[in-house]
Order: sequence, then structure tokens, then C-alpha cells
Amino acid sequence: MKRTFTYMERDLRRWIRGRINVITSLVMPAAWLIFVGLALPIRFTDNYLDFITPGILVLTMLGASLQGGALLMFDKILGFLQKFLAMPAPRETILFGKILFITCRGLIQTTIILVIALILGAHLLNPVFLLQTYLILFIFGVLLSSIMTTVALSLEDHDSYAAFNSMIAMPLFFTSSALMPYDQMPGWLEVLARLNPVSYAIDAIRSMQEGIFPATTIVGLLIGAVVVLSACIITFRRATV
Amino acid sequence: MITNMAIIETSGLTKKFNDLVAVDEMTLSIDREIFGLLGPNGSGKTTTVKMLTTLLTPTSGEATVCGHSVTAQPSKVRDRISYVPQDMAVDMKLTGRENVIFFANLYGIPRPRETADEALTQMDLASRADDMVKTYSGGMRRRLELAQALVHDPEVLFLDEPTIGLDVAGRRKIWEHIISLKNGGMTVFVTTHYMDEADHACGRVGIIDKGKIVALDTPAALKSLHCHEIIAIRGEGEYKGTVVPDVTFIGKTGDELRFQAISGEDSGIPLLRALNESGMKIHSFVIRQPTLDDVFLSLIEEQEETMAFDHHRFRTMLRRRA
Repeated sequence: MKRTFTYMERDLRRWIRGRINVITSLVMPAAWLIFVGLALPIRFTDNYLDFITPGILVLTMLGASLQGGALLMFDKILGFLQKFLAMPAPRETILFGKILFITCRGLIQTTIILVIALILGAHLLNPVFLLQTYLILFIFGVLLSSIMTTVALSLEDHDSYAAFNSMIAMPLFFTSSALMPYDQMPGWLEVLARLNPVSYAIDAIRSMQEGIFPATTIVGLLIGAVVVLSACIITFRRATV
Repeated sequence: MITNMAIIETSGLTKKFNDLVAVDEMTLSIDREIFGLLGPNGSGKTTTVKMLTTLLTPTSGEATVCGHSVTAQPSKVRDRISYVPQDMAVDMKLTGRENVIFFANLYGIPRPRETADEALTQMDLASRADDMVKTYSGGMRRRLELAQALVHDPEVLFLDEPTIGLDVAGRRKIWEHIISLKNGGMTVFVTTHYMDEADHACGRVGIIDKGKIVALDTPAALKSLHCHEIIAIRGEGEYKGTVVPDVTFIGKTGDELRFQAISGEDSGIPLLRALNESGMKIHSFVIRQPTLDDVFLSLIEEQEETMAFDHHRFRTMLRRRA
């Protein structure tokens, strides 16, 4: 476990020192929050900002995970992975460190977005709600960063990964329940949105906004995260032996 | 653990990638020395190192490092070794000290900061320890990699092309450090393209071609065994296989023909005469003692001139090795 944190700390230091990356990754979700959350003339809710904020928080985590999947690939391309694999620390700690970093980086980014949402007037200050939101975002982050790391390990080069990334990023967001409730969607979109794992995380946060603890959704996300993480471990072992 | 075992032992070590035999029945015994594995590109050097460092599983045969099998006890092997691959992989956005402390923490060293400082001092990097690595020269980055590798006091150090891409001063400094590590009792397994460096620093060298060890001895013994005096001739015209007694043609590089002879002085003039008679126009003629380059070129089958670069095969190998 200690080694996992050591690997995570390394990535965290590198990320914080690349100041441009810290800021650029926040521009997109902040823009959504400001330009869509405040400007869109919506009739189905009194406070669209409160409605869209869970979607933007999950979008931030989605972006962090999609961006983070390539990290292990870069460690492999640049020769770091070979060094790490020749060390006595359990090899899986390399993978766990990476997934933990991607998820924690996502949580830091969502915190900044949350603060912006609060400044803009969102009503999300209940501490129990915030704690549960972080729990959901953490599980969702593990799920998605495991998926993306598995994809990166399975693809041969960064170009293929970037192509895959741009192929799924926007469709995943737009076919989720981020921007509108299910009863406002066309039928075909509702089917897609109900299948989309991004919606599960958003719906879970919205349920908590209404004071309902979404136990089933959280368990579902948790099972999904464990299954995908297991697949990721198997792919990692295959890729490194 | 068997005590009379050499630090590194391989027996019939083989690695196949489908029908490509990258390492073929390699048997070696290496003990507290600087051992150089020399060979042309794609000859199996890196594949050998990767098997010994537990990064690749051998297809057949066995290898032990510090008495532990690389296949049955890989984690015990990894406890005792350090591996510095060919790619220079250090974190540019971290300081030198942070890079080494990171490794010390991964190795679980009790006093990471102090141990890292000792390793940095040993590699003459103490004065730059707090600078970002992006400001380091190539030689300093390689020394930083050595500091990372030394932080857990390994018994065996594997270095894959440690001086590639460095300037002469940087190369010399790296070798000084490697030699002092060996003098401290460490076994160093190194692959290199630079014959002069291997000649100067390695206790023994193995020359590998197409996965097979074709020569294995001290540089001095290899030079005396495989080459006599070298007659190097530059000239115009095609070499038609002319031979004179006691002279053997050993290779051609550019417009230079190289022959070996028991006595260059005795055989030089008859050789020149024979080449002239065969239609060649000779520009220069040198008799010299053999170098490891000559041994290497006499043992390795000429590749670049006769074989086109097989890009598909190269990519396949890289992909499988990575």
C-alpha cells in the first residue's frame, strides 16, 4: 500500500509542477458551468445550475479519467515502466498508484469546480451531501480510470489512444443525464442515457440532492469498479510479463 | 542458496518470439566483474538483459542471479539487482534529489533522504541535487539513473547501453563510476556498442551474434586469439578475393579492406603486390595491433551491407520486448 502512495505522489508532484495542465483541464468544465449552467433558458427546473452541477462534477471526473488513461502508456513508452518492473515492489502497485492518482486528481479538479458552482449560486453546502458526492465520484473515478488504463494497455500507441479518447468523450457526456432529466429526453436518448454509466453517477448525486441515499446505484458502481479493476489487473499482468 | 555459484549463471538460456530465436542456448557464468555483452543491433543483448532482470520469461533454459532463479524466484532476484535501461527515464519535473528519494521509497529504504544524498554524492551530483532534472546534461541524467539504481545497494547492476548518446567526457565519467562500483565488489553486466569502452573497462566480454555467444574471454585474450596483426588498406577498385600466404581477409568497412597476418611486416608487401596485380589502386596502407573492433568485425557476420532493414520485423520485436 505504501508503494502505491509513493507512485501516486510522484505523479501528483509532476502534475502540480506542470501548471498549465492544472489550469487547462479545468477550463472545459468551468465553461460548461458558466455558459450552459447560467445562460441556458430552461423551463423544467427553477435552478438549472443546481441541476447541471452534478453533471459537470461527473464530467470533470470523466475528463480526468480519459486524460489519465494514457499515463501508464507514457511510462511504458518513455522507459519508466521497465525500471519499475525490475524493482522488488509488487508490480500491481504501479497500476494501483496510477489509478489512485487519476482518481485523486479528478477529485481535486471537481473540488475546484464545486467551489466555482457555489460562487455562482448553487445550493450544495450540506456536509453529508458533499461527503456522499465525493464517495460516488471516487468510485466512478476508479471505474473509469480502470477502463481507460485497460484501453491504453491494450492499444499500441498514443495516437490510437487519443483517437479512442476523442471518439468516446463527447458521446458519453451527451448521452448521459447530465444536461436534462429523463422525462425531457427523446425516447432513443433516454434508452442510451439509462445504459450509460456516466448517468449512474450523475443520478446518484441528484438523488442525494433530494435527500435519498442511492444505495443500489452505489453498489452497482462499486461492483462495476471492482470488475473493471480486475480486468485491468489481468491486462496489466499480460502486458508486463 | 548454493554458495559456490557465480553471481549470474545461465544455462541453455533461450528466448523465442514465434519463429525468431532472439537468444539461443546461452550459457554464461559471471562473478564480481564488469561483464560486457557486445553485439550488433538485434543480436539479442537487450533480450538477454530483460530475461536476467525478470522482465521477460525465457522460452527454455535457466538463469540464476545471486543464487535465485529468474523464473521461480523473480522477486528475490529483483531484491538484489538494479536495472538501468537504454532509454534515459528520469522525471524532468522533479529535482535530482526527489528522483532518487522516489526510488529509495519504492525500495523501502529506512532513511530515504539520507540514503539518496549518499547516492547523489557518490555520483558527483550533490551540488545539483535540488535543481530540476530538465536542467541536467545527458551525462548527469545518466549518473542520476545510476544514483537511483544504487540507492538500495544492489549486488548486481544491469546497464543497457549506459553511454549511448553521451559526449566523450560524459562517457568517461560514467565508466569511472562503473569501475569504482566493481572495485567495491559489485557485479556489473553491461551491454554496449562501444568496443573501445568495453576493451578499457570490462574484465570479460561476450560477443553475441544472432542470439548466440560467438566469443567469450578477456578483451586481451580475444584480441590475441582471434586476430594477429591488422593490415588496413584503402584503395580503389573491387576486391576480388586475392589471397597471399599467412594473410586472411577479415572485412571491409567503406573503402577500407582489413586483413590479418601473423606478421604485418612480412606479409604486407606481397599483399599489396597481389592487390595491385588484381587491378586495385592502393592509396594507403597501415599495419597496426588488433583492437576489439577488429575481433568484433571478424566474428560478426556482416549485416548492414547485405541485409535490408526489415522494418516489420523490427517493429514486431520491439512490440514484444516492450
